[in-house]
Amino acid sequence: MSAGTDAARPDAARAPRGGAGTRRRHAARPERGPGAGRRRLPAPGTLARWALLAVGIAAALLPFVWMLRTALGPPQTALSLNSNPLPSEVHLDSFRRAWQDADLGSALVTGVGVSLAILALQLATAIPAAYAFACLRFRGRAAAFGMVLATLLVPSQITAVPNYVTISALGLADTRIGLVLPFMTQAGMIFMLRQYMTTIPASVLDAARIDGLGTWRTLRSIVVPLAAPAIATVSVFSFLLSYNEYLWPLLVARSPGIATPPLALARLLTDSSSIIPDFAELAAAALVISLPSLAVFVIAQRRLATGIAGTGAGA
Amino acid sequence: MGWRAAALLLPAFVGIVVFVIGPALVSVFVAGTDKALTGPRFHWVGTANARAAFDDPDLGDAVVHTLVYCLLTVIPAVVLGLALALAAERVTRGRSLVRLALFLPVSANIVAMAVVFAYIFDSSPDGLANTVVGLVGIAPVDWLGDTSTALPVVALVGGWRLTSLVFIVYLAGLTAIPRSVYEAADVDGIRGLARLRHITLPLLAPTSVFLGVFVTILTVQTFETVAVLTKGGPLNSSTTIIYYMYQVGFTGSFRIGYASMIALLLLAATVALGAGGAVLGRRLRRIRAAAA
Repeated sequence: MSAGTDAARPDAARAPRGGAGTRRRHAARPERGPGAGRRRLPAPGTLARWALLAVGIAAALLPFVWMLRTALGPPQTALSLNSNPLPSEVHLDSFRRAWQDADLGSALVTGVGVSLAILALQLATAIPAAYAFACLRFRGRAAAFGMVLATLLVPSQITAVPNYVTISALGLADTRIGLVLPFMTQAGMIFMLRQYMTTIPASVLDAARIDGLGTWRTLRSIVVPLAAPAIATVSVFSFLLSYNEYLWPLLVARSPGIATPPLALARLLTDSSSIIPDFAELAAAALVISLPSLAVFVIAQRRLATGIAGTGAGA
Repeated sequence: MGWRAAALLLPAFVGIVVFVIGPALVSVFVAGTDKALTGPRFHWVGTANARAAFDDPDLGDAVVHTLVYCLLTVIPAVVLGLALALAAERVTRGRSLVRLALFLPVSANIVAMAVVFAYIFDSSPDGLANTVVGLVGIAPVDWLGDTSTALPVVALVGGWRLTSLVFIVYLAGLTAIPRSVYEAADVDGIRGLARLRHITLPLLAPTSVFLGVFVTILTVQTFETVAVLTKGGPLNSSTTIIYYMYQVGFTGSFRIGYASMIALLLLAATVALGAGGAVLGRRLRRIRAAAA
């Protein structure tokens, strides 16, 4: 974020002051009388802003509300706006059937377990690399970092096919390890952590060296604690991405026993589409598999908003 | 110092080389063969796959669908996301609740949401979408089963989620604009729409260029919504490029070689798009520097 915006800020801020700004001085406030206070917002603007936000929030929440409404409603009944928006009685039956039919318990364990294993591997590979790029000087640093950045351009669909061949050759197709291994390194995570670690003052690292701390001790007891906020942010991103991943599990997890939550849900949908789909059951399954990512997101929400600006992912 | 850095970088580079760079290079090779997913035998066919791709009417359709999908998602998502970010930035009371609600679509599981949207756009007259259009007297529509509505509905689901992502990035961009800039504008009497046009939007221009490229690349690679909502149907009317690649390589006759070529051509287009964005971004900055 900061690099691009920073570069543009001074000149862009100056331009309107000398040029268009002065011309627009009178045109800018067409509806307000001369006595209107400068600090007060115009009422129509505020109203429009709140109307826009209300519509936006309603649109954002509608599918979630509908999911909850459908999951709690009676099974196999089409609902419409004509029916009471609040269910007259709560049915938990759909949840029980969804849990059994889609084997959601096993899917949730697989999904959360695989996502956490991926996170552990990604942190284990990204933290040392980010530290090397941010705090050490060595020959070939720019080239190596460039190579990491270049991998950000390679879409996962390009690597999916050869990775499938690799994983099959290792005998790991249709295993949980096969779901984890290809994601062991995340170039984006290395990049974001490196950006954050470059803000650690050189004096801190110098002090550590003078105190006789080696590379490993410096990493463990100085850099990692200082970079904790960034590590938390990238961890949330990593978990959400892995938990919601669909294409790779679709290719690798062929047997139902190791289906990830999105896969289990998609299969429940496919299985039911031949007959009249039981949307109450599907909505219940969708709700259950959404819970882990929503929980992580709600807990980390505040950190994410600030973290995106801090780690440079914005631009 | 060198060996220490090497030791620190080694684990990351094992992962990158084995699972990203290596496979990307293998893809380039496989794209020149007639390899199938099943069976070990394959032959070098040179540029035959590339020529086949340019003559493939199904791929041509998929490209058109992908472009239509991009048009229907990216432009509304960027406009709405920006408008919502501008509106939400100035909210003081209930700030975190507003943000939480608008962040939700991007964090939600896309497969779960696609299932919910499939229900909202159910073909029965009692479905939510049909009830709404019924209010203005339109007969029930088979949204996902009609060749003319399937792709727009899939795009709507993609756009719903994308708007939330655009909102997050613009919000971060807006918070990076210092208050002092607005105060200076206020002193000069620049407010309201004039301020938006001459101060806020120019300051957001780098974010906009980045978003335009990033969001378009993401959208071009659309897979989940199509896979869950329509499986490319009806009559292939909503098959996107990546979904077509999946069909070619992982279903039917498992033509991995041809699928790799499709992915490679898409990567070439993506890199061109990214390079175009980078050039545009640099030119924007230079124009602005010259103007100042």
